[in-house]
Amino acid sequence: METLVANLYHGFGVALTLQNLGLCFLGCMIGTLIGVLPGVGPIATIAMLLPITFGLPPTGALIMLAGIYYGAQYGGSTTAILVNIPGEATAVVTCLDGHQMAKQGRAGTALGVAALGSFFAGTVATIFIAAMGEPLTKLAQLFGPAEYFSLMVMGLVFSTVLAQGSVYKAILMVLLGLLLSTIGTDLETGQERITLGIQNLSDGLDFTPLAMGIFGFAEILRNLDTPEARDVVRTAIGKLLPSWDEIKQATPAVLRGTFIGGLLGILPGNGAVLGPFASYTIEKKIAKDPSRFGKGAIEGVAGPESANNAGAQTAFIPLLTLGIPPNAVMALMVGAMTIHGIIPGPQVMTKNPDLFWGMIASMWIGNAMLVIINLPLIGMWVKLLKVPYRMMFPAILIFCCIGIYSVNNAMEDVLSCAFFTFVGYLLIKFGYEPAPMLLGFVLGKLMEEKFRQAMILSRGSFWTFVERPVSAVLLAIAVLLLIIAAMPSIRAKREEVFVE
Amino acid sequence: MLRMTSAVVGMTLALGLPANAQNYPTRPISMIVPFAAGGPTDVIARIVADPMSRLLGQQIVIENVAGAGGTTGITRAAGAKPDGYTIMMGHMGTHGVAPALYPNLKYNPATDFTPIGNAAGTPIIIVAKKNHPAKDLKEFVAWVAKEGDKANQAYAGTASVSHTTGILLVSMIPGAKSTLVPYTGTGPALNDLIAGQVDFMTDQIVNVVEQIKGGAIKAYGIATPKRSPALPDLPTTIEAGLPSYQVSAWNAVFGPKGMPADVTAKLQDVLNKALDDPNARKRLDELGAVVPEGADRGGAALQKLVESEVARWSPVIKDAMAKEKK
Amino acid sequence: MSDQGAEAKKQLGLSIPMRQEIAAGIFLMLIGLFFVWQSSDLPMGTLRAVGPGMLPRAVAVMLVVGGLILSIMGFLDKNGPMVPLFALRGPFFIIAGILCFAVLIRSVGLIAAGPVAMIVASFASPETRIVETTIFGVIMTAVCIFLFKYMLNLPIPVIANYW
Repeated sequence: METLVANLYHGFGVALTLQNLGLCFLGCMIGTLIGVLPGVGPIATIAMLLPITFGLPPTGALIMLAGIYYGAQYGGSTTAILVNIPGEATAVVTCLDGHQMAKQGRAGTALGVAALGSFFAGTVATIFIAAMGEPLTKLAQLFGPAEYFSLMVMGLVFSTVLAQGSVYKAILMVLLGLLLSTIGTDLETGQERITLGIQNLSDGLDFTPLAMGIFGFAEILRNLDTPEARDVVRTAIGKLLPSWDEIKQATPAVLRGTFIGGLLGILPGNGAVLGPFASYTIEKKIAKDPSRFGKGAIEGVAGPESANNAGAQTAFIPLLTLGIPPNAVMALMVGAMTIHGIIPGPQVMTKNPDLFWGMIASMWIGNAMLVIINLPLIGMWVKLLKVPYRMMFPAILIFCCIGIYSVNNAMEDVLSCAFFTFVGYLLIKFGYEPAPMLLGFVLGKLMEEKFRQAMILSRGSFWTFVERPVSAVLLAIAVLLLIIAAMPSIRAKREEVFVE
Repeated sequence: MLRMTSAVVGMTLALGLPANAQNYPTRPISMIVPFAAGGPTDVIARIVADPMSRLLGQQIVIENVAGAGGTTGITRAAGAKPDGYTIMMGHMGTHGVAPALYPNLKYNPATDFTPIGNAAGTPIIIVAKKNHPAKDLKEFVAWVAKEGDKANQAYAGTASVSHTTGILLVSMIPGAKSTLVPYTGTGPALNDLIAGQVDFMTDQIVNVVEQIKGGAIKAYGIATPKRSPALPDLPTTIEAGLPSYQVSAWNAVFGPKGMPADVTAKLQDVLNKALDDPNARKRLDELGAVVPEGADRGGAALQKLVESEVARWSPVIKDAMAKEKK
Repeated sequence: MSDQGAEAKKQLGLSIPMRQEIAAGIFLMLIGLFFVWQSSDLPMGTLRAVGPGMLPRAVAVMLVVGGLILSIMGFLDKNGPMVPLFALRGPFFIIAGILCFAVLIRSVGLIAAGPVAMIVASFASPETRIVETTIFGVIMTAVCIFLFKYMLNLPIPVIANYW
C-alpha cells in the first residue's frame, strides 16, 4: 500500500509538469474531436500524429496518445446519443437508450450522465491498474482459447437481451451477424470465403461501414420516413444536466458497469468489447420495469458508458505489464512506444517507472480534463440538434463518408456502406433490430478463431470446453441466462393460449 | 496558412508538368505501408520517413493500406503513377513469399517495381513457453522432431512473418511435423505462448525481445550471422547448431515500375543518407533492427535480394501447402 | 420518377402485400440460402482440424431453418402486422449520395465529392431548398477540408493526385 502511494505520488510528479499537462489536454481535445466525428477512429488519428511525437520525450508523447484514445471513447458516446451513429462496437449500446433520451429532449441529461459515469469509472480503473495491474495479468492468463470461446458464447446470449421486441428475431439477427463475420480470408487455410471474387472482401467486412450503414444511415432513412419523430429532437431541449434524482437512479448502474467493464477490459483479444453489452444486459435484467429499456432508460446509458470507459482504461494492463496489446489501438501504442525506443514488456514498470506511473497518473488527470472539456460542450451539442433536419442529414452523411474512407483510405468501404444502408432499411421494414446483429458480427470473428484454436489444441475434443473449470462456469452462466431469457416468452405464450 | 500557400504553389507547379528531379519533390509524397499502423514494418517506415522528409524538403505521408498479407497495399502502390509521389515499403512477405503463397497475385515482385533500396531488417528469434523442457537449441530441435504433431506451434495468421518463418523452421528439422495454431496477430499468439497454451513460435526480435528479457518466454536462437546487441546473451542459430536457419524480415523501399531515373536516384540518395542519420539509426538499433551496409544498399542490391528471396521461399511454401492438403 | 411527382404524393413508395413476419422470414431464408450456396465449395474439415466451411455453412443452415420457422409462425398469426410501405425517395437519394462520394473521392477529390454527395443526398427530403443546400454543401466541404486535412492531417485527397 505504501509503495502504491509512493508510486502514484511519483507518477503525479511526472504527469503534473506543465508540458505533460499540456500534452494531456491536447490529447483529450483531439480525442474528443475525433470521437465526435463519426467514423474517424483513434487508429487513423494516432497513426497520423505519430510523426509529430518524434520531437517529444517518450512519456509526454504517450500521455498525449493515451489522451486521444480515451478522449475518443468519450466523444464517441456524444455522436451515439445525438445522431444514433456508433463509431465503434462499444457505442452500439449507448445508441439504444441514449438516442431515445435525446429524442425525448433529454440529450443533456444523457450526455451528462455519460460524462460523469465515465469519469467515475476512469477514476476507479486508474486505481485498479495502479494497485492490481500485476495480479490481474495472471488472471487474464487463465483465459486460453477454450475459456475465451465460452466467454463469447455468454456474450452472444447477452445480446438477445439487447432487443426490445421479439427475442426470437434477436437470435436470428445474432446468427446473421455471425454469418457476415465469416466473410473473408480463412484464418487458418488462407482460403477466400464468400468473397464473391471481390478483392476488398478478402479481409472481411469492416465494422465501420457496416455499423454506419445499418445503424446511422438507416436511422436517417427512418427519420425521413416519419417526419414527426425527428421533430421531437428539435423542439424540446430540456435541461442540460442530470437532476439529483436521475443521478441517484444512475449511480448503482455506474458502479456495476465500472466493475464489469474493468474486469473484461483486462482480457486479451479485446474482451473490453463485451463490457457495455454485459452491463446493459445486467441493468435490464435486474430493473423493476425492463420495458423502459430501449425507450430512454438512464441506467441503459450510465451502466454501459461506465463499463466502456473502465474497460478502455484497464485495457492498458496487458500492454503495461506484459507488452501485449489487447486491441488495435493498443497495438498502435506499442508502435508509438517502439518508435521512442521503449519496447513494452514485463519490465516497463521497473525500467521506465517515469513512463509507467506517469501514464497511469495522467489517465486520471485526463479523465478529469475530459469532464471539464465535455460538460460545457453539452450545451453546444444540444443546440446543434436545433439545426433543421434537411440540413442536418446531408452534413451527417458527408462526415460519415469521410470517416469511413479514412479508416482504410479505401473508397470500396464507402461503397459497402451504401449497400448496408439499403440492407439496414430492409431490416427496419421487416421489424429486425440491428444491435444484436452487430454484436454477433463483432464476436463472431473472435469466436470462430477461439473455437478453432481450442479444437486444434484439444485435438478435436469438445470436452475441452467443459473440462476446464473457468470455461465450464462461463458456459453454465450462458445456459442459465438463456433459460431466464426464454422464460418470459414461454409465459407470455401460455397467457396468450389462455386468452384465446 | 503558410502550408496552404505552399501547397497551392506546389499544385500549380505540379499541374501539367512532368516530374523531374530539378524540382522534385514539389508536394508531399505518399508512402504506402501495406500493414496496420504500429507493427514493425510501420514503425521502421516511420523512422526512415522522418529524416527522408527533412532531406527532401517535403513530407512523406505514411498511408497504411493493410490486407491479404500486405499484398492489397502493394497491388495498389504498384498501379500508382510512377512519378515519385507514391512509393511503398515492401517487405519479405510482399516481395519474397507472396508469389508462392498467392497464386493469383496481381504483381511480380521482380519486374513490376523500381527498387529504391533496402531499409532495415528485423531478425527472427525462435521462442518457446517459459517452462519448455528443452535447455538449448539442440535439445529443442530434438524435441520438435520427437514430438511430431504433438508440438503446438503458434503463428499470427496466414502470410504473417511468424507463419512463413515458422514453416521454414519446421522444414529444416527432419521428421518434424508440428501442429500449427493460427492467431489473428502477434499479440494474441504471444499471449497464449506466455500463458503456456502453445509450445513455441518464431517471430521478429522487436515483438519478443522484452518478453524474453523479462523471463516471460524462453529464446533458443537468433537467425542472423551475428548476435544482436539487444540480446547479447542469445546465441545465433549458427552457434547453437541450426546454421541453415538464417532469416530476417527485411523491409525495403520500392516505387512503381518505370520511375524516371533522376527521381529514383534522388530517392536512393535520400534513403541512403536517412539510414545514416544518427537519430534514425539510434531508433532502429533500439528495435534490434539490422541496417544494410555498403554493397547491400541501393536499388541493384535490392533487386538481387528480391530475386533470391522469391526463389528461396517458393519451394518451402509449396511443400508446406502440399503437406497441408494431405 | 420526377421530383414533383414525389412531392405531390408524399408517401410514394413500394408496398408488399404480405404480413411482416412472413416477409422477414423469407428475407433471412434467402440470405441463408445464398451463403449455403456460396460456401458449398469450402471444405468442412474435421473436428480436429475445423475447416473454413464449417462455421459459415452451419450458421447459414440455422438461419434458413430459423427464417422458415418465423415465416410459418407469421403465416399462422392471422392478425400480424403487414410490411410497412417502402419509401423510394429517401433510400434512393441517400444511397445515390453515398455512391457519388465513393466514385468522386479518389478520382476528383473531396473538393467535388463533398458538395455533390451532399446536394444529391439532400433531395431525399422534400423540404430541401437547392440554393441553400448548395451553399451549405460548399461551406461544409471547406470545414471538412480544414478539419480532416489540416487539424487531423489525414491522407484524404482534396484534389485527386495533387493535394
